[in-house]
Amino acid sequence: MIRVSNVSVSLGRSKIVEDVSFDAGAGEFTVIVGPNGSGKTTLMRALSGDLPYEGTISINGTLISQLKLWQMAAMRAILPQSTSLSFPFTVREIVKLGMTSGRSGAARHAVDTLPDEALVRVDLAGFGGRFYQELSGGEQQRVQLARVLCQVWQPVLDGQPRFLFLDEPVSSLDIKHQLIIMQIARDFADRGGGVIAILHDLNLTSMFADRIVVMHEGRADCVGTPTQVLTDDRILRVYECALKVGGLPGKSVPFVLPQSAIL
Amino acid sequence: MSEAILRKSAVLASARGGKKLRPDGDRSALARAVIACLGVVLIATIIFSLAFGASDASVIAVVKSLISGAEGTESALSVRDRIIIYDIRLPRIILGALIGASLAVSGAVMQGLFRNPLADPGIVGVSAGAGLGAVSVIVLGGTIFAPVVALFGLYALPLAAFFGALAFTLILYRVATRRGQTSIATMLLAGIALGAMAAAYIGVLVYVADDKQLRDLTFWSLGSLAGASWIKILASGPLIAFALVISPFLARGLNGLALGEASASHLGIPVQRFKRIAIVTVAAATGASVAVSGGIGFVGVVVPHLLRLVIGPDHRYLLPAAALLGASLLLIADAVSRTIVAPSELPIGIVTAAVGAPFFLWILLRRRGILDL
Repeated sequence: MIRVSNVSVSLGRSKIVEDVSFDAGAGEFTVIVGPNGSGKTTLMRALSGDLPYEGTISINGTLISQLKLWQMAAMRAILPQSTSLSFPFTVREIVKLGMTSGRSGAARHAVDTLPDEALVRVDLAGFGGRFYQELSGGEQQRVQLARVLCQVWQPVLDGQPRFLFLDEPVSSLDIKHQLIIMQIARDFADRGGGVIAILHDLNLTSMFADRIVVMHEGRADCVGTPTQVLTDDRILRVYECALKVGGLPGKSVPFVLPQSAIL
Repeated sequence: MSEAILRKSAVLASARGGKKLRPDGDRSALARAVIACLGVVLIATIIFSLAFGASDASVIAVVKSLISGAEGTESALSVRDRIIIYDIRLPRIILGALIGASLAVSGAVMQGLFRNPLADPGIVGVSAGAGLGAVSVIVLGGTIFAPVVALFGLYALPLAAFFGALAFTLILYRVATRRGQTSIATMLLAGIALGAMAAAYIGVLVYVADDKQLRDLTFWSLGSLAGASWIKILASGPLIAFALVISPFLARGLNGLALGEASASHLGIPVQRFKRIAIVTVAAATGASVAVSGGIGFVGVVVPHLLRLVIGPDHRYLLPAAALLGASLLLIADAVSRTIVAPSELPIGIVTAAVGAPFFLWILLRRRGILDL
């Protein structure tokens, strides 16, 4: 489990994240939503160990400040928003970099084919020999996801759950691949790992997330299930946008359509 | 569905044409084969360089003599040839190979560190910094730096060049890199400023130098392997050996760094410590080679670039391959410089610049978008 307690992050003089607490359990898909500039990415960078913070963050009971980089690399993998390269790596070479930490958890005989398997998973079968720089933005994003999956291929290793941190994993993807990637994250959680993702799409969030953290002006406005979190009031207050939250008959999945906006 | 994708990628791959890449994109077998070939090429280059020149010892005689040892009683070589080969050519060849290897490796490491295929110690002012250190010792060695020279003896020159290179690399890194992102334009501009700064200080030192020092400086600054000796190998060998031994351990970090500093640390690479080691390695390799041979330009940018086209940018293979190819190329350039205007000889720096500078322009022409990164 990832436990975030009273975490504040300052960049320069301004406090970007203030007193945020939530738990992201193993077997759960936790989604962080919120308007631009609400502190989502800064919070994610603190979770990743990239930024100094006040408060405590622990992973499986150990404070991340006490973990070495290589220990953390075996417990969680992080997908950045985008990655540009200055050297002509092939797709397969990039995916293979995910195995740098050497703790993919794949069976010994499957290690050599792991990059190919990961590429199949992100619907890029046969792309191994292509040059990364020649791919579209969405394809590059999926290559990076394949790399990240290689790092924590088994969601549970040595009895400990492992985690995926995804920063806007579907922002540059078409709808088919949005669903494929969300399903990968869902599947990772169902097999015992934990996923924390930043998303902008409230409908995908509502469809796949177990738990939503709503960020607003650096604070966690609310933490809860989609039905608890997605309400007309909150969307008006947080996004400053009067939208009507709908519900599908017979299902507990709320949806938000921009067409319902009262402009 | 996946069949359609396979077909599409096959069509795209063939449309791109030319490049024969295994469909799974794994170039490690190719890279190992290339490294083995380069090893053979280097050995061949060394043997031919030994036999090549004003004296007419045959290749076979040289090989026989090498196998039986220098003092072999049934040496196939005349006494005169033995002196030429063991006291003149062999140190020059060893030094040339070491310097070629260190130039190519320092270029490759620096490019990986700056995430930029144009970063070369010669282009971004690091060699100039090493030069400033070296010139300081040559000119001021009798006066201000006399205690330093007395303390370090023949190591004073390479050490001064090392510290010059180290200082300039640190300044460059500090100026050009913000939060782990290197701005290529800033890096190149900072390199111009550092080069100009070093040139100005060197100018002052040249101005105060006496006649003998001036002659030393002129020879040195043109870049030459002439005057190679076992003493010079002893002086700069340790620094170069240090850099060449360290560099394979940098490969994993350089590969991770290609993804950016944050992603590298997420993969478990201790980025800050790694960068410090890489900077010291670049400075050691550049400093030592500049101290011995002056400015031999473009080896550091041409060799890694050529190799990346063939075996890809994986530093586990790129670094050893660069060392081998750099050594071979410098020996060939040296052979050209020894013979093209025989019996006189051209400084090797002129040969490498004459070939390397147009090549560099060609890289720019092909990848003009490189500054937009």
